[in-house]
Amino acid sequence: MPAARRPEAGGAGSGMAALGFAFGSGSAAALQAVGGSGRPSEAGEGDVEAGPGESRGGGGLRADWHLSGPDPRHVHGVLSAAPRLPRAARGPLASVRGRVGPLLGTAALASSPGSPTTALTVAKLKRSRLKVRFCTNESQKSLEYLVGLLRGLGFDISEGDVTAPAPATCLILKERGLRPHLLISDGIRSEFDQIDTTNPNCVVMADAGEGFSYQNMNKAFQVLMELENPVLISLGKGRYYKETSGLMLDIGAYVKALEYACGIEAEVVGKPSPEFFKSALREMGVEAHQAIMIGDDIEGDIGGAQRCGMRALQVRTGKFR
Amino acid sequence: MAARSALKAVLVDLSGTLHIEDAAVPGAQEALKRLRGASVMVRFVTNTTKESKQDLLERLKKLEFDISEDEIFTSLTAARNLVEQKQVRPMLLVDDRALPDFREIQTSDPNAVVIGLAPEHFHYQILNQAFRLLLDGAPLIAIHKARYYKRKDGLALGPGPFVTALEYATDTKATVVGKPEKTFFLEALRGTGCKPEEAIMIGDDCRDDVGGAQNVGMLGILVKTGKYRAADEEKINPPPYLTCESFPHAVDHILQRLL
Repeated sequence: MPAARRPEAGGAGSGMAALGFAFGSGSAAALQAVGGSGRPSEAGEGDVEAGPGESRGGGGLRADWHLSGPDPRHVHGVLSAAPRLPRAARGPLASVRGRVGPLLGTAALASSPGSPTTALTVAKLKRSRLKVRFCTNESQKSLEYLVGLLRGLGFDISEGDVTAPAPATCLILKERGLRPHLLISDGIRSEFDQIDTTNPNCVVMADAGEGFSYQNMNKAFQVLMELENPVLISLGKGRYYKETSGLMLDIGAYVKALEYACGIEAEVVGKPSPEFFKSALREMGVEAHQAIMIGDDIEGDIGGAQRCGMRALQVRTGKFR
Repeated sequence: MAARSALKAVLVDLSGTLHIEDAAVPGAQEALKRLRGASVMVRFVTNTTKESKQDLLERLKKLEFDISEDEIFTSLTAARNLVEQKQVRPMLLVDDRALPDFREIQTSDPNAVVIGLAPEHFHYQILNQAFRLLLDGAPLIAIHKARYYKRKDGLALGPGPFVTALEYATDTKATVVGKPEKTFFLEALRGTGCKPEEAIMIGDDCRDDVGGAQNVGMLGILVKTGKYRAADEEKINPPPYLTCESFPHAVDHILQRLL
């Protein structure tokens, strides 16, 4: 059976240098990016389906492609790239499984999240002529911790390969002379070590997890209400994400709460902000039309990338419902 | 103004209209007596998320208002009615003091979420439980959506932000049961047998009391007590049927002009 349908040749009639993919069958690493020719390689047999996806999630967004399979374990086309970390310390494999992070690059390979082929796939990608970058909204743990965890899982990845919201936020704070009140978890506090937080004139919120108590939310609210020109910066605005125990409220819900309470709109650093994708593209030195984004979040990953002029591929793992 | 039916029911807001904290609006008790002398039904309607009917009644009795419990209709009553109507088992994110208004409501194995002002429940774990219920299709019932309220130590987050958080995360809309929702006023009238065209609302909140009531076809009188601020009456269109100094003036108008 033809398991992979060839996607339409990419919307804006782009001069995409290289994009295409095919699927192998069974357990072999499957989704393959082809450089150079501009011709997708042949679709192989397998359980995996890729095709123009139906819309799913807010705003009638539609992914360029979906990856799925009757059984998620047969999806060999998913790169578990830079996952958000689980709140509780769990086994690292368990933590990555089901939490598919997004990959930003000129094309991508992928594999079943958490399977050994994932790491091999990343390695293969990195050997190709394609540039690969990992784009995460992780805002509960430091970049160092995240990269350490992924390396521990066998991924060939370094801090320089990742675009993450905390460093981007620090740049913004310095540029604009902002001194934040921080509503963040202890795990990421070290990223803000060099930031002046006295006499705050803005609020920065990251995924504080358990730190999203009424008291802490109220403190942030009071800081904002006392400012003549309240500035709220949030590291991401996701609705929810998946953990082994089930779906969890993400930072976006708490951002919305403060927005509603204060009658303001937060500045989002991270996906789906166009600035965030653009900075990742700049790091790679490629244009939006030459890149594809892979992720499980229809809004943060897919919608954000597509609005930037990139193609996007949604994987039916992680938070996909 | 179009011809209206004869007035049969008067809805009266409590806080800000009959009393301000622990003090009655001057002359309000006497005015209520005068109103009761006329052939109209009186109901007391209020947005409360933490005071049970019993609490409200005790306070009003202390202020020497002649009011009985079955005349009071609150946003908690409205929430309870909706829960009963939908035959659901709610997870109650409400202040403990509000729980008496949900007596005998089944709450084990919840399949609905009722959210009021309950700072002690607004934290990550509890909200996540609510979130998962909503994802499973449980209805979200909000007592009201106030952004914040005033505490002794300053402003504090109201239920609205947390309702909004859950709405955003689950891509659903809460059913808000308090004022100014239409269903609130219609429910308050149920039991009086009156139609909205036969009723009038007196309150100090231009949008929630007067605007809400007028939206269902009632008349609305704005009183300049409680939270009233200059030019509030300009906040709604059409404007209030009448704006007057205080509850006694409103009663006088009704007795002299509408009966």
